[in-house]
Amino acid sequence: MKYALYLGCTIQAEQFGCEISAREVLPRLGVELVDMEGTSCCGFPAFSSLSTIGWFYLSARNLALAENLGLDILTLCNGCYASFVETKHNLEENADLKGFIQEKLRQEGLEYTGDIRVIHIIELLHDLIGTEKISETVTNPLKGIKLAAHPGCHAIRPSSLGRPDNAENPQKLDHLITALGAETMDYPEKTDCCGSMLATASGTTTLTIAAEKLKAVEGYGFDGLVTTCPFCFQMFDGRQGEINDIIDFIFDTDSEELEVPIFYYTQLLGLAMGLKPEKLGLELNLSPVDALVEKIAGGAK
Amino acid sequence: MSDDIDKEQVEFVSLLLQREVSEMDAEVCEQCGKCTSACPVAIYMEGFNPRRLIAKVALGRTDELLESDTIWTCTSCLKCKERCPENISPYDVILVLRNLAVRAGHPYPAGYDETIKAVLEYGVAQQPRMVRTRAHERRDRASLGLPPAEKPRDMKKFNEVLGGIVRAGGSG
Repeated sequence: MKYALYLGCTIQAEQFGCEISAREVLPRLGVELVDMEGTSCCGFPAFSSLSTIGWFYLSARNLALAENLGLDILTLCNGCYASFVETKHNLEENADLKGFIQEKLRQEGLEYTGDIRVIHIIELLHDLIGTEKISETVTNPLKGIKLAAHPGCHAIRPSSLGRPDNAENPQKLDHLITALGAETMDYPEKTDCCGSMLATASGTTTLTIAAEKLKAVEGYGFDGLVTTCPFCFQMFDGRQGEINDIIDFIFDTDSEELEVPIFYYTQLLGLAMGLKPEKLGLELNLSPVDALVEKIAGGAK
Repeated sequence: MSDDIDKEQVEFVSLLLQREVSEMDAEVCEQCGKCTSACPVAIYMEGFNPRRLIAKVALGRTDELLESDTIWTCTSCLKCKERCPENISPYDVILVLRNLAVRAGHPYPAGYDETIKAVLEYGVAQQPRMVRTRAHERRDRASLGLPPAEKPRDMKKFNEVLGGIVRAGGSG
């Protein structure tokens, strides 16, 4: 299995734990990652809002770069994934639009055909590698740890475009969690948004939406939350401190601070494989992951 | 509106809106409210209501929406699109309305322009930065052993082509 690895802005600029852990664990599962040269932003969400054509241009541009390598494109981000799939769909539906984008891309020396597949990290792990093979690589099972699955909006909706998992009852991330020896369970807020896309318009509402979800997750007795999207990861992990700064305001009462450890899935997978936390960028998580990491990695080599 | 409007772009955006709107006359949207009940923003922000938004579009009252800041407060979670029994997508309507609002010169959150500007200049929305660990140590891509960040190899050409599209779109 060989894929063009598309990082996207957020991972490349600051969510290094997602990238480090993916680069560390995927090759151990037989996946060859080929770095892409000359990539740009996928266009979501600023261009989709202000210049739809600019959005399609940017996404098609990255797809053309992968086509150039003769490889399907693997994304580690829900936003980039949705952006690429949506763009492919729109260009297939509208020949004039496709022609327009193709002509613009030629000015950059690029050819777009739309022939490659867009692969989501959940699809790669669950459908193409399989939980059985993943379980075989586990040397440090995550025993006695209960983790909440947060697939994130753009991994599951809209179902009309074909998503890696079911829109109303996603289970694949759950299977990937239990493949590591951990426990999980469904919870009512599982398919709820992290709120991060609202940051541009309303900072407080963004934090409130995220806080509600984290509070629910904590209330159900989960030990932590797992995601496969760097936007959701950044929202829950990087901004948990900001949420706690205004937590009394958010819940309109004296509230305990949230303490929910947040992981990008491949970080946990690496720990279960017995890899050292620093090989997985776990020192970069800003949520309180220490106790869980120590519990899992206690016997790591 | 900018003078060098690209006809093809304007036609395409109009086409998108037609496609979205043609399916949502009053007979099609039953105003059942599944969109609003699923919406994470409607709970917290007064005035943001996908059901009412669709009603306004169906009644031809798009001007009100274009002027209002509510179209900028969608989180893009897509639950409205997923749950609609009539396959209407408030989310897609909102994206089209945003595109139209920008072209009509209405105000929108400043963050969008900053992102567009960054992409035009650097090819990416965010420049790679120094981050801190939980122990407050500094790390960047190089110190973590990650390859240098990518960007378009010919930035001038990239800026020229994408800039042309965006300017024609009425922004920037």
